[in-house]
Amino acid sequence: MSRPFLGFGLGLRTDHYQHIIEHKPQVDWFEIISENYMVPGGKPLANLDKIRADYPMVMHGVSMSVGSTDPLNQKYLQKLKQLVDRVEPHWLSDHLCWTSVDHVNSHDLLPLPYEEKTIQHIVDRISQVQDYLGRQMLIENLSSYVTYNNSVMPEWDFVNEIAKRAGCYILLDINNIFVSANNHHFAPRDYIDGIDSDRVMQFHLAGHSYNGEMIIDTHDHDVCDPVWDLYEYALQRFGAVSTMIERDDNIPAFPELRKELAIAEKIARNTLTKEQLHLSNHSLLQGVA
Amino acid sequence: MSESEQLHDLQKNFMNYVTGEDSDMVDKIESTPALSAKGRLDIYAYAYKSRLKEAITTDYDKLHSYLGDEQFDTVMERYIEKYPSHITNLRYYSISMSELLREESPFNQIPVLAELATIEAAFADSFDAEDHRFVIVNDLAGLAPEAWATLQLGFQKSVQILAMEHNSFAIWKALSDEETPPEPTKSEQTVMWIMWRRSDLVSRYRALVEPEYEALKLAKEGENFSVICEKLLDFFSEEETPMKAVGFLQSWIEEEMLSELRT
Repeated sequence: MSRPFLGFGLGLRTDHYQHIIEHKPQVDWFEIISENYMVPGGKPLANLDKIRADYPMVMHGVSMSVGSTDPLNQKYLQKLKQLVDRVEPHWLSDHLCWTSVDHVNSHDLLPLPYEEKTIQHIVDRISQVQDYLGRQMLIENLSSYVTYNNSVMPEWDFVNEIAKRAGCYILLDINNIFVSANNHHFAPRDYIDGIDSDRVMQFHLAGHSYNGEMIIDTHDHDVCDPVWDLYEYALQRFGAVSTMIERDDNIPAFPELRKELAIAEKIARNTLTKEQLHLSNHSLLQGVA
Repeated sequence: MSESEQLHDLQKNFMNYVTGEDSDMVDKIESTPALSAKGRLDIYAYAYKSRLKEAITTDYDKLHSYLGDEQFDTVMERYIEKYPSHITNLRYYSISMSELLREESPFNQIPVLAELATIEAAFADSFDAEDHRFVIVNDLAGLAPEAWATLQLGFQKSVQILAMEHNSFAIWKALSDEETPPEPTKSEQTVMWIMWRRSDLVSRYRALVEPEYEALKLAKEGENFSVICEKLLDFFSEEETPMKAVGFLQSWIEEEMLSELRT
């Protein structure tokens, strides 16, 4: 597959606004948390516009709740569309999860039972979202801590089936695979082997924390060595995929985070051929949406 | 039960567990030797509360400093219990804080708490209020003499008028400067304050004297300039009034509070 390849990006965080605006550091692209800019105006949007003028962006949401049984939130989708028009992102993503029910919001990414009826429910909703936005979206695999008794398939089959039927793409979070593999006792490489390569459009990398036997997806540490190994394995399987690091807590100074991103670049250079990177860069011109 | 109802019930059951309501969710989750179903669900229950507390702490850092960790945590626990989140964006989760502190004992026994919350919420609203063009003094030059009487003013969305019965702004300022706040004292009469955001995207605030407050209130309600002048006759002589009214208008323009002159 020839997929658009943006290169190596970082999550845009307020701690780094000033550094980015003043120094214009070399980063291929930024991923924004959509909800942070769903405000009427002021500094958040002013800073967003300034940084967008210098960098490509993608949008990443946390509140679409595609797995919920509540009706899709039309006001949310309207604001999301307005932000899409403002940012003109290469693509937008959200999570394969639910966040609210009966209009009570957990503000968390809650897991779904992996079974056929859930698949159809989500496919219908993603289709509605894509129709409304007039573009395809990406769905991200979660970190999770529970398995429902009525789940009947591995998560990767669930993700593939939804992406195929809804005609959307996959944002594969390598750290989330590692976290869930530990918490649910499966081999993380089985997950990567099971994912449909044609649907993968972006990678997330992040750090995590141990809580006894469980790993919690905290985004407050550097990416650890086993996740870097898994990243290398994912590159071998999927080829060049736009990659970024998410950091949401215990956020280091920008240059330090940039150094961490350089590790991803180095692994990709050592894993992929120049032709793979070149071909992918070429296809960037065609866009995705 | 339809498939959709089954999924709804499962989600409702899960949410009940997370928010501390009655739930038999532990029976729907696999336990493993590493961790029981309850232990697994507790990760989500803990995350729910800590995420909401993080949002409240971000929004009310001066109130947090004023109360200290322990008492602020008591406030947050009560807030989370009383106000389940019905909004999509966490930015707006804690907007009812001043209401809680004003209405409920023991918080309302210290009235400056609700006023501090009002101030912090107003700063947040000013911070990301809608952007508009700013009226400049030169715009007045374009007004025809006969247009003044029916002139109406459009204000920046960030402009908010706040009523304070205590020295809460002084307390807020001291906390902001990391100094010891003054003792709370009740003013002889309610003091009106204005908060707004200027073109440098920084929010300002100042107290309003009564005539300016009355003029501003009418202007914000959409009353025209002649109605405002008429009200100012309660405070000034007929000779003074037009000059005072123009003076207020000029300062609102210079301080970048206005978005539009409607004739």
